[in-house]
Amino acid sequence: MAAPAAEQRHTPRFELGPARIVQMDGSKLVRVGARPGFFQYLREIWRFRHFLQYDAHARTSSQNNLDSMGRVWMVLNPLLQAAVYFFIFGYILETHRGVVNFIGYLIIGVLTFRFIQGAVVSGSNSIASNQNVVQSFNFPRATLPISSTIRELFATVPTFVVMALLVYFIGDYQIGDMERAPITLDWKWLMFFPAIFLALLVMTGISLVLARLVAQFNDMKHIISIGVRLWFYASAVIFSVDRFADRGHDWIMTVMHFNPAFCVLDIIRDAWMYDGIGEPFRWAVLGGWAAGAMVIGMIIFWRGEETYGRER
Amino acid sequence: MSTPTPNYTPRRANWLSTNTQGSQALDLDPEAFDEGFGFDEIEEIAWDAAPLTQAAPQVETIDAAKVSVVVDNASKVYRIRSNSEHRKNTKRISRQVQKVLGSGWAEIPALEGLSFVVNRGETVGVIGTNGSGKSTLMKLLTGKIRPSSGEVYATSTPIMLGVNAALVRQISGRENIRLGCLAMGLSPKQAAERFDMIVEISGLQDALDMPLKAYSSGMQSRLQFAIATAVDPDILLIDEALNTGDAQFRARTKKRLDEVRAQAGCVFLVSHSLGTIKQMCTRVIWIEQGRMLADGDPEWVCSQYEEYTDHKSSGRMRSAQIVYDRTLLKLSPVQVEFEEGTRPTKAG
Repeated sequence: MAAPAAEQRHTPRFELGPARIVQMDGSKLVRVGARPGFFQYLREIWRFRHFLQYDAHARTSSQNNLDSMGRVWMVLNPLLQAAVYFFIFGYILETHRGVVNFIGYLIIGVLTFRFIQGAVVSGSNSIASNQNVVQSFNFPRATLPISSTIRELFATVPTFVVMALLVYFIGDYQIGDMERAPITLDWKWLMFFPAIFLALLVMTGISLVLARLVAQFNDMKHIISIGVRLWFYASAVIFSVDRFADRGHDWIMTVMHFNPAFCVLDIIRDAWMYDGIGEPFRWAVLGGWAAGAMVIGMIIFWRGEETYGRER
Repeated sequence: MSTPTPNYTPRRANWLSTNTQGSQALDLDPEAFDEGFGFDEIEEIAWDAAPLTQAAPQVETIDAAKVSVVVDNASKVYRIRSNSEHRKNTKRISRQVQKVLGSGWAEIPALEGLSFVVNRGETVGVIGTNGSGKSTLMKLLTGKIRPSSGEVYATSTPIMLGVNAALVRQISGRENIRLGCLAMGLSPKQAAERFDMIVEISGLQDALDMPLKAYSSGMQSRLQFAIATAVDPDILLIDEALNTGDAQFRARTKKRLDEVRAQAGCVFLVSHSLGTIKQMCTRVIWIEQGRMLADGDPEWVCSQYEEYTDHKSSGRMRSAQIVYDRTLLKLSPVQVEFEEGTRPTKAG
């Protein structure tokens, strides 16, 4: 009796969804977000070269727009820095012993190292500090460290002009018992350009490695700032290498001779002040660093390509 | 007669037992159901080794030429730095260490493994309440983050069109447009060609030379959206984009959106507006609490979703849970199998 009455009541039968297995030929698909092959990656970077260049340009030109004196600081900052170092190390501590043309020596050291330091620091932070850009566009991430080193080069052009003028006009100025050699402007000054170019390659390679490290371990930032300081003292920026040799610390000299930053400084000093074109050994060390850092840096950075977009 | 009619059998299926990674919210106490429902007799279904849903899988072969996007069991657990993690740690010493360091990892499960296949020509709506994992799914689809397990495959890299395109605050709107275009891989020539169109869509002719930090948040999102429309992607993701800006901006974007949608092979649309979803989509995926609940006919999925949100907003949590479970039971779980050796690995 109960059954027909129940049948009249319309209740849709509840059906469980059946499991489905979907088979297909996946040869036409690609894995989304996959890291491309190394050479394809390099081609991708080349395809994004305009982005790279424009990014560097746009950010350089807006770098000082919070200061009321604007881009004057691009010139004034290096001038003041050179003056401070000169006052402390040349005048008070008198580290100039044994250095010919100490003023020029100091100016080239301080200002060039400033470029090297800036390029490495900004390059190593480039992924971590651009998370929003990384997460919203698909582009090869290596463009960011590369563009930040190039940006540093753009921003340092005024500094280099100031540096050349200072060295030419007051580089051989004597204070007290400083030794002096005449500075003449000739074609050897052009050695500056290949030296800076090689330095840029070294910085880019180092930045690529550090950018991956910082993106993975934020703690690296602290170590980098200490490391850069140490590097400053290992590059004979404010004193002569010979000071160590006198004291019998020969191993420090060996370290310095294989230090790319020291090689850059030494080549530029040689070309601008001592009428040379840089020792072949310095060029060899610098060239080796440039090639090695670029290749190793690229490979290390490329291997982490898929990890840069994650939340931190 | 106390036996219920065959057609009306309240079943209590402990389907969670086969799914060990079930979330806390779903882990219902069976006893709790017995109170207040008046089901004196509940037919217990024991499906130990072979639950019904997995007993007879339907095997189907799909034409590879039609497939656009394949999501194969993709899940996501965020692992982020957090300085309040020590509170969860139960070991006393490591808890103290973490407290002193002020640093720790928080693991946030955002999406459980889900699979689906989308063909060319489909417009897929994605719905779900806030925090359900819709945006995570979108990020997985565009390849911005990598799934914790599983993979996402597609014929080409899907492009997200929304208001998340981040910009550089220090530089002007004009420069941002150019930078954004180049970052999306356009050549300088193409970027110059589309410049006027982007400016027109954004409607920011007067503010182009101001730095971005002078923009209001509405202006920023308009600019972001306008930049994002500059490309014509094959697989398009639209995230809540239709709801930004004033009426004037919406009217301007509608035209461009229709153009982009028309040429795209496959569209995903994330929206809270069920009207838009029903109107535009041929298929709807409902994601709730990080789990795919339903995948199918827009009308049916939207009605279930409405019922669920209705219960939720009125505080009827148990009713909402029933809708949730019922919908989940109706879902056909998909398992993707690639032919021998054709599982894609290469990049697009």
